[in-house]
Amino acid sequence: MSDHESVRGLLALSAAGLLDPDEERVVKEHVSQCGACAADLEAYGWLSAGLSNMPAPQPPVYLVSRTAALVAAEADRRQGAVFAGGAAIFACVFVLLIGQTLATAVGDSAALAWLVWASISSVLGAACALVLASRRRLERSIV
Amino acid sequence: MIYEAAIDERFPVAEPPTQVARLRSGDPAAVAEAVGQYRQRLYRYFVRLVRDQASADDLFQQTWLHVVRQLHRYDSARSFDTWLFAIAHNAAMDLLRRRPAESLEDHEFALPAPAQDALSAVLAGERAAILAAAMAELPALYREALTLRFEEGMKLEEIAEVTGTPLSTVKSRVRRGLEAMKQRLCKEDIL
Repeated sequence: MSDHESVRGLLALSAAGLLDPDEERVVKEHVSQCGACAADLEAYGWLSAGLSNMPAPQPPVYLVSRTAALVAAEADRRQGAVFAGGAAIFACVFVLLIGQTLATAVGDSAALAWLVWASISSVLGAACALVLASRRRLERSIV
Repeated sequence: MIYEAAIDERFPVAEPPTQVARLRSGDPAAVAEAVGQYRQRLYRYFVRLVRDQASADDLFQQTWLHVVRQLHRYDSARSFDTWLFAIAHNAAMDLLRRRPAESLEDHEFALPAPAQDALSAVLAGERAAILAAAMAELPALYREALTLRFEEGMKLEEIAEVTGTPLSTVKSRVRRGLEAMKQRLCKEDIL
């Protein structure tokens, strides 16, 4: 490939500012002696400047508020899930500790009764929490 | 005391939480702030890439949801811009791959005849409209390389990171994109 041809392949990248200093020097030297490449480089420069200054399309007014609400709801949901997980672990440990204490102090039947009672109230409590959470999500989506 | 704290290392001064830290904590104000801060750039990127505003809207929202879900994976040593645009790139590519008529990177693509709206733009002498029309005719990956380079002002390495491609590929896309645009504008006697 001739010097002229190889430099022609670099002209667009020179205008885009993507050449390393050595390549840039080669382009400059060649362009100073070659009218056709100088004209091409000028055209690429015009294109590059134009592309850098094209007016940006304007996002719709609602987009930011809608996205922010969507993202905040997602963050809230994730935070709620972490909190619920932590609360569930704490509740399990608490129930088991009380059960252990009752088994030692009163007897196995008292511990069993405690575990049954705690399990029923936990299941009911979890169901209520899920209903409340889904209602809250529904309300948020309507807003 | 305040001045002492400022100059004495024994009095550590609590730095304000960074935007990423606030985003990670799910602070709604930080989320709204970040979405607002990047709205122009991200929206412009999507419009250039997918060429329709409804899809750009969807991608914009999808990207931010993904950001919140993946924020724990973000390495704060990296640039947030690059990470955000890489997520945006993946979302846009998923959408473009589902479009049967969309050419992502056609190495042998032929320059289409100038569209009527481009011609009227030429007559009106609006450089931006002419360029936007010429750019819209390019394959998606060339449009992406050009918008990241010229509108976002990203460096070669940043574009490579966003698009997940080697530096040589990025260079090739920018070069071919510019060459195709120049060829088209020459045909129309604009250059």
